Amino acid sequence: MGFRRRKWEERVFRVLMAASTFIVLGSLLMILGTVVIKALPALNLDMITRTPQGGYYLGKAGGILNAILGSLYLASGATLLAVLLSLPIALYINTYSTRSTAWAVQVRFALDVLWGVPSIVYGAFGFIVMVLLGLRTSLLAGILTVALLELPIMARAMDEVIRLVPQSLADASASLGATRLETALRVVLRQSLPGILTAMLIAFGRGIGDAASVLFTAGFTDHVPTSLTQPAATLPLAIFFQLGTPIPEVRERAYASAAVLTLIILLVSLAARALSRKLRKHIIP
Amino acid sequence: MRLLSALPGLLVGCILLGLLLKSRGVLAMQPLSRLLFSAAWKPLQGKFGLLAFLSGTLWVTLAAMILAVPISLLTAVYLSEFAPRFVRSLARPFIDLLAGIPSVVFGVWGVLLIVPFVARIAPLFGASSSGYSVLAGAIVLAIMIFPTIILVSLEVFTAVSRDLRDASLALGATRWETVKHVVLRKGAQGLIAAVVLGFSRAFGETMAVLMVVGNVARLPHSLFDPAYPLPALIANNYGEMMSIPQTESALMFSALVLLLIVFVFNFAARLILTRVERRIQ
Amino acid sequence: MKKSAAFAAAVLFLTAWAAPQGAAPAVAGKISISGAWALYPMALKWAEEFHKIQPGIRIDVQAGGAGKGIADALAGMVDIGMVSRDIQPAEIEKGAAALAVTKDGVVPTVSAANPFLAMILKKGLTKAQFAALWISEKAVTWGEILGTGDKAPVHVYTRSDACGAAETWAAFLGKHQEDLGGIGVYGDPGLADAARRDPLAVGYNNVNFAYDAKTLRPVEGLAVVPIDLDGNGMIGPAENFYATRDEITTAIAKNLYPSPPARDLYFVTKGRPAAPAVAAFLRWVLTEGQKFVIETGYIMLGPDKLTSGLDKLAGR
Repeated sequence: MGFRRRKWEERVFRVLMAASTFIVLGSLLMILGTVVIKALPALNLDMITRTPQGGYYLGKAGGILNAILGSLYLASGATLLAVLLSLPIALYINTYSTRSTAWAVQVRFALDVLWGVPSIVYGAFGFIVMVLLGLRTSLLAGILTVALLELPIMARAMDEVIRLVPQSLADASASLGATRLETALRVVLRQSLPGILTAMLIAFGRGIGDAASVLFTAGFTDHVPTSLTQPAATLPLAIFFQLGTPIPEVRERAYASAAVLTLIILLVSLAARALSRKLRKHIIP
Repeated sequence: MRLLSALPGLLVGCILLGLLLKSRGVLAMQPLSRLLFSAAWKPLQGKFGLLAFLSGTLWVTLAAMILAVPISLLTAVYLSEFAPRFVRSLARPFIDLLAGIPSVVFGVWGVLLIVPFVARIAPLFGASSSGYSVLAGAIVLAIMIFPTIILVSLEVFTAVSRDLRDASLALGATRWETVKHVVLRKGAQGLIAAVVLGFSRAFGETMAVLMVVGNVARLPHSLFDPAYPLPALIANNYGEMMSIPQTESALMFSALVLLLIVFVFNFAARLILTRVERRIQ
Repeated sequence: MKKSAAFAAAVLFLTAWAAPQGAAPAVAGKISISGAWALYPMALKWAEEFHKIQPGIRIDVQAGGAGKGIADALAGMVDIGMVSRDIQPAEIEKGAAALAVTKDGVVPTVSAANPFLAMILKKGLTKAQFAALWISEKAVTWGEILGTGDKAPVHVYTRSDACGAAETWAAFLGKHQEDLGGIGVYGDPGLADAARRDPLAVGYNNVNFAYDAKTLRPVEGLAVVPIDLDGNGMIGPAENFYATRDEITTAIAKNLYPSPPARDLYFVTKGRPAAPAVAAFLRWVLTEGQKFVIETGYIMLGPDKLTSGLDKLAGR
């Protein structure tokens, strides 16, 4: 192939690549821009510090503190529950069994399937279980359903991270006489801690932003939940319901709520990156 | 710990079983072929044909993938191989941000901007559309899955060792040729995994698509026709479950079909992946 | 501690029967309500006003559509389901007990930017024409509907979520929601928005979502299609009550606007409400609550329906 032809091909692809990057970043800016512009008229301190007072959805005073705290409680609870389940699973398939045994392959397959399940199916399944157990729409029901949603995301991400821990490290630990549990906890876990935290925060971000899983399970309320059996407002649903009133001012508040939610997720992902960078000092390169 | 690692498999089994049990009603009423291959969805008349919804899901997901995969891969290659360092470090948090935007926001934005956009360009292609269409759903979905494919691809490219690239360049290949023949080939398995992940994410998205796709229970014949994907059916009709007999069963059956599609898809993807892996080895 | 509070509540509740109108016994409890968008503004208003009288009772209201309301109520997820359509026999079999609490209506809508608006407002549309748009879907251009030769297509919209508005509109046309054609949009405001933005659109909305709550005129960008009731191709003075919300609600109250698409709105419970808080709330809604109905844009029920509702509550 002539050199000119090769150079030309490179140029074409460079243009395509730059265009693609432009499309990706451009669409992000468009979305953020639209949300921020529509949110500005309604963004004020009241929105984030007060719960809806009477008639909030009809235009009167108040804010979305109920949804902010409700979402934070729910996503935190769900993430915690998911961590308690995901971490042992991810550790097990990487340290106890070697990476490619049939068992590990099957577990990974199941996780892939769970990852692909639409969140509405989790919501439907959660509803069935709730009716079976006699639970009402509540913070607890929401936590259980969202934990189900987060489990595959977290386990998969943790798995990827733990996989990167070189086998030599685990072998060295074993040769020093450590049990498999000790190796798993003291060596592998510590080595992959930054990645694990990132996985947790990614799952948190996904859990807090999902509407379909909480639509039938967490209920909604204008109050901040004080117990697990009370219904909890969530930001995605608050956005939905505020969009659903006939009053234009309230619809503006929906955009403000969307901005708040996006901001929370942004802060969480920034924290994830900062934390993982800090913790990278403690790992063995 | 071994018991806990059985949890994912158990969960899949439980959900499968639960949905299957709840589907018994409609399965007893209608032959499976009618459920899957009839386009008539009229619960009050006892008709639960899912063909229109299966077709809708397929149209939207495939269109989204056709839009998303080239753009995402090209962007990932650019960021990884060609972009100056400051662009790369700037773009990373931006893409994380895109990944974090909740689906409700995408749906709202889609209704505000994408639906009128599609309505406006439809006449250019000789169609008349309200904007609520397969194309609108595909565009919104594609943007939603950009980060998934890009971020995984970036990880894949970082894993390809520097030495290989340097060797290729030393042999006189251009940057792009290095990418084409070395990086992409080495990373092929990971890239396929990235695309599979993107597909799963697109397939499972409910709310954003629901808001822009038109929700008309008919087989779409063009990108500008409205469609009714299966997750949207469940979300929209959840309320009818208690009222019309067998509707609950039909919706649970729809959820079961979704789960089975995800299952089969992952199975096929895994087969392809192992074969690619073997070929690289 | 809980037992004695419940006992005290029961005693107070029983003595309330003998108490004069307006003296409300203090009851404590929680009520959860979910369901139709149509009832949402009214339920919010009632919750707010009731809370002033009974601060010990906490009411949570969630929208989500009539379908969600009935599903939640029958599954025991909420205390009261808001339902904006007639209750089906299958639902009654599952234990649904419905109380008619107020009345509103569904009106057909088009964009204020519709090129044929003047003609639409002058001639109105008949039930048969609506059916041609939504049921048989035979009328595909505005020309076919208005009798001109215009080729501009009609964009028909409907609700994608299982809801009372669609069921009621379909009932007006003699069918059910599943028989309605058109692009399905989620939620009442969603449909209103779609109709506003598309000049060639035709849709339908609850009165409270078609009319602005402050100006009492149709929402900015939306126009209400008059229904040609006598089929003479013109909207006469007796059929012209769509300019303001008050006009249409008065017309509904006087039965000048057909029912359907005007309809009763229901609070549905699973069986007779036993919890004292719920029963107290429902009783209040059927008595003092009714004075907030008109200012919120709804129509008051006739006294006979209210009394039969109270009878049902008391188990008579």
